[in-house]
Amino acid sequence: MDFPFMKEALSQLFSKSSCAMYPAVPSEAAPGYRGRIIYHPERCIACGMCERVCSGNAITRTVEHLEEGQDKITLTFNLGSCTFCATCADFCAKQAIEFTGDYHMVATKEEDLLVSGSFIKAAPKKKAPAADKSQGCQAPASGGPTVKPRDDGKPVNDPARCVYCTLCARKCPVQALTVDRAAKTWTLDEDKCIACGSCAQACPKNCIII
Amino acid sequence: MFKKLIEESTGKSPWLFHINAGSCNGCDIELVSVLTPRYDAERLGFKLAGSPRHADIVVVTGPVTKQSLPRVLRAISQVPEPRCIVTMGSCPQSGNVFRGSYSVAGPLSKYVDVDVDVAGCAPKPEAIIDGLALAAKILKEKRGRKK
Amino acid sequence: MTIVIEALQYLGYVLIFPGFLFCFLAGMLLCGIDRKLVAKMQKRVGPPVLQPFYDFFKLCGKETIVPAAAERITFMLSPLVGLAALVVIQLFIPVFGFTAFSGIGDIIVILYLLLVPALAMILGGAASGSPYAGVGLSREMVTIISCELPLVLVLLAVAKTVGSAIGTGLCFSLSEIAEYQLVNGSLITKISMLPAAAAMLLIIPGETGNHPFDAAEAETEICEGMLAEYSGAPLGVFKLSHAVKMLSLTSLFVALFLGGLGTGIMALDALLLFVLCALITAASISFVHAFTARLKIEQIFKYYWTVVSLLALISLVLAWYGL
Repeated sequence: MDFPFMKEALSQLFSKSSCAMYPAVPSEAAPGYRGRIIYHPERCIACGMCERVCSGNAITRTVEHLEEGQDKITLTFNLGSCTFCATCADFCAKQAIEFTGDYHMVATKEEDLLVSGSFIKAAPKKKAPAADKSQGCQAPASGGPTVKPRDDGKPVNDPARCVYCTLCARKCPVQALTVDRAAKTWTLDEDKCIACGSCAQACPKNCIII
Repeated sequence: MFKKLIEESTGKSPWLFHINAGSCNGCDIELVSVLTPRYDAERLGFKLAGSPRHADIVVVTGPVTKQSLPRVLRAISQVPEPRCIVTMGSCPQSGNVFRGSYSVAGPLSKYVDVDVDVAGCAPKPEAIIDGLALAAKILKEKRGRKK
Repeated sequence: MTIVIEALQYLGYVLIFPGFLFCFLAGMLLCGIDRKLVAKMQKRVGPPVLQPFYDFFKLCGKETIVPAAAERITFMLSPLVGLAALVVIQLFIPVFGFTAFSGIGDIIVILYLLLVPALAMILGGAASGSPYAGVGLSREMVTIISCELPLVLVLLAVAKTVGSAIGTGLCFSLSEIAEYQLVNGSLITKISMLPAAAAMLLIIPGETGNHPFDAAEAETEICEGMLAEYSGAPLGVFKLSHAVKMLSLTSLFVALFLGGLGTGIMALDALLLFVLCALITAASISFVHAFTARLKIEQIFKYYWTVVSLLALISLVLAWYGL
């Protein structure tokens, strides 16, 4: 018989234990650990990208219509459904979602595991009602495009629905797009554009038309 | 005095019974790591019991699949009172990425009263210790309320 | 009047020292020390030494479930039978010079009584009607059979050594063995007794069902075997019996091999007995636990009937030739 750990057991008897005395000694999570989510509603533009990429259906967005054409938008992150993959934070154009090293996510009630925040946003203006009327039922006012596609395959932006999240500009392989969030402008460098369609795929609001 | 002694002891010696209700094994491994020399939950009195009849705290991992649901409920019903049910990881709380699957019957809170939720996918061992310590406290309160 | 005083005295023996109260306190402390030491050897901090007390009182406060398939009376009574047998063993084991009960054949009584706790466990397990208990009790029976042969050989070797020294052939009285050791020094100093002492150290974890000889109560494979259906206070009594069994066997070791260390003062003797028991527990139970994995039941059988029996047999042969 062979006892490889006999000596080890004897020597450990007189040496210090390797325990992290956790509740008595607080412990920090390792750098890069993805724990409790912090949501910054002031940065959010409600593009909906996070909701779309979430694998655990942990993010819900509710829109509450206020007076004077304003919407109160609330995003709720259910940590009890989250996989902490941080895909939402990666996709967030405005860095409104932050993963912290706080791992103390213990609750006796389900509400304790919800992280939510809300902000008020001007409701999208109902643009060009005249144009809508002229097109008749071809383009419903709420869903359909209000601009016509170009015939050369290059993208066109629908300013009525665009939130200027800059995702299209980031996805563009040839940097043909310039989007300025502050000035609310979307410009296409037609010489650079190769009509690949990446911008339309990346757009969370489906407002780029090819 | 004897009653007080029992109440004190109940908080200090919670035995765990672990049920895997279709878990991906991530949480199961984290639960085992809590018992390793690094975290050593035994210093707080926690012990992994072999039979649900010996347990005080039932730790459920996994999204509670249709196959496992009757077994989970049967195992939980065999745990003598006072008992405490802890869901570990996001799966038993909501279904997590398995939510909406044809084979998932969860979340667990539809069927039994869950006392403590430990969020995380999988939770850090420290968070598990937090959750179990909270469960032990609830256990003690439950014992105190009885009689 | 003297009868009343004598009766009270015996009641004190049974209930306080070396009976129930001493068994309870010392056994639980031994169990706590064992758990702490194993944790230390595995580089852990380990539970507080008082942890077995917490466990016991907690179990007393839990609900007791009697399964529908169980035989209720046997199921509830067998833990008590096992514990009572262990307390009786403790009464027969001398604390150096002091013996609560003594007779001419108490080694044989102890040998029989040591079977009773295991038998009670088997009865309880069988009464619970659980298939896990069925597997567990068949393993427990094999473990008993494995341990019994070397234990008998060890006891024979001791009986022969003392018997030939005081001229009675075989001495089966523990109190006489204790007296002999108080006069002539501990038996462990004899060369012929060394293999027997080693064999006894190896028997202790097997008899108590401790790691690595706990195939009968393997919690990871057969749900703690015979205890699978027990809950609440009866389970607590079984845990207590396990702790007291550790005390019984270690104090039997002290009585057989280290009997010459007594001081003559009873309180000091009791303390010394406990310290020696703790040391033996550390060496034979905790240390072995820390670096071994659980053995299969046929490995346990083979191990006890070859290695340990051989050690005991060597001792017996040496004792027979008066070495």
